[in-house]
Amino acid sequence: MKTYGSEPGTPTTDPVQIGISEFVVTEADTLKAYGLGSCVAVVLYDEEAGVGALAHVMLPNGDESDSSDLKPGKFADTAIRAMLRRMVEEGASYTDVEAKIAGGSDMFEFESFGDGVGRRNVEAAKEELEKLGVPLVAEDVGGSRGRTVIFNAETMDVTITTAEQDTAEQL
Amino acid sequence: MRLDVNVLGTFYRMAREGAGLAAGRLTGMTGVETRVGVTKLNFMRGSEMRTEFEDGTEKVGVRVELSNGFDGHSLIVFEREAAKRVVETLLDAEIDDEFSEIDRSAVTELGQIMNNGFIDGWADVLGTVIDISTPEFIEGKGVEPFFGDLEEAPDEDDLALLFQSQIEAVGTEIGFRHFMFPDHDTMAEILDRQRDDSHQGIEYDKLDGFDQLAQQGADAVADTATTMTGIDTDVEIRRLNFLSLEAIPEELSDEMLVGVAFEFDGLPSGYLLFLFDEESATEIVEAMLPQAPDDPFGEMGKSAIQELGNIMASGLLDGWANVLDTTIDHSPPEFIRDMGSAVIDPVIIQLGENQEFAFVFDTVIEAEDHRFDCDIYAIPDEDDLERALNDLDVGRIEETPTTAEFGELETDT
Repeated sequence: MKTYGSEPGTPTTDPVQIGISEFVVTEADTLKAYGLGSCVAVVLYDEEAGVGALAHVMLPNGDESDSSDLKPGKFADTAIRAMLRRMVEEGASYTDVEAKIAGGSDMFEFESFGDGVGRRNVEAAKEELEKLGVPLVAEDVGGSRGRTVIFNAETMDVTITTAEQDTAEQL
Repeated sequence: MRLDVNVLGTFYRMAREGAGLAAGRLTGMTGVETRVGVTKLNFMRGSEMRTEFEDGTEKVGVRVELSNGFDGHSLIVFEREAAKRVVETLLDAEIDDEFSEIDRSAVTELGQIMNNGFIDGWADVLGTVIDISTPEFIEGKGVEPFFGDLEEAPDEDDLALLFQSQIEAVGTEIGFRHFMFPDHDTMAEILDRQRDDSHQGIEYDKLDGFDQLAQQGADAVADTATTMTGIDTDVEIRRLNFLSLEAIPEELSDEMLVGVAFEFDGLPSGYLLFLFDEESATEIVEAMLPQAPDDPFGEMGKSAIQELGNIMASGLLDGWANVLDTTIDHSPPEFIRDMGSAVIDPVIIQLGENQEFAFVFDTVIEAEDHRFDCDIYAIPDEDDLERALNDLDVGRIEETPTTAEFGELETDT
């Protein structure tokens, strides 16, 4: 969620909530995408440069949509490209960036959902990462439960909690 | 007037942008970090506004009248406590329970700056100059002091188009709400001017008519809940919202939710969800089963909730189908129990393939003694809804009995 008045890079105690279709690039903040169902959280980070980013992606394909210019964070492909660009501007080096993804569950078996809305998002994210040559080092995707993803840019740790277990698991 | 979804989308963005401007100015003035919460276009009846506003808390507001390019009123409302905190921040002093003259003018100035933020946003998009009256400081409880005397505020049974935004100060309890009451004729004219001819749009009167009937459908659903659980229930809130799909999950609480989801197919098609917090769901399971199970969300509990959902869904959708003179089928119930927004994001993702905004028929059913709440989200496919409403014969609205009839209970067992 966009906040007004915070200095970029100022460490905050509370995690910054990343709402649907949003992404944030940071050197110090802890970023949190709460209650992902079929949405996908994409984390990109360059450990060496100390720059990381998290996107809360809603749809697979932005290249086919008119609104991707306005909201690059909404789509897996455009979000990954926009984050990468911004990270490089913030000092990351393209070839050192690695990725982790989580989410993309399919909790409903509705006819209209075809082979699954979550699955489509996961596939699109993987495809874009591969296209850009960003290694996917860990994933926790699919299934039928929601996840909350927290990315700490200080430590570059990604942790995941689900409804079933209270303890956060490291990805 | 006709509602073109694209134009409503523009208005939505405008309201959101205005909220951003207002939040930025608030930060500038107080040094408090702020963020914009949910922004909504509501189609709201006077009776609903009353319910929502009359929560017993003291409120403070700053109201201005708009004229020239845009007629109506703009109002910033905050809880009295929040206003107090802001004034303390601004004046850097503890203040008493009663607002002094200085406190009042500090609140008024702040409210004015925020009103201006919103109005500047509107004026920009509309390419017009909007005249603003001297701000008026209001305090009190309930609707009366704030909207009671406004001509464009909706009467009990009138549906008014209303813009609502929320601004929160990060890490504090300070929150504000902004209400924009456009004058009906102004709105009609602006909607018309902005409309592009490629979209047919929805006749406002038809939406209004349909919403009246949806109200009765909701009443029927509450009756079903009462019949099945033996607990008296009532429709507490009913709103028709127009908002961006992404904003829908933001509205849900961060708690665990239990629910039943359906897809429905016909004119319109879409999705329907009944959501309970865990405590409410437990209450329902216990009321529906002869014996309270060890695990309220085990097989027995699940099927009890699914059964209730199924009958409520049929009631609601049959009510719609009667009015629209069509057939709407729904899928078997899907049980869900998960963290807040996760229960609804698959639905908004699926709809998001083809639309950016949604009309959400948003209903809250409450047990009279507050033993449980049920949130109902009916989200039709946008094109389908537009077609269904344009086919709607307004004459029918008067004569269609909308009491949904509930057939024999179908059980799996």
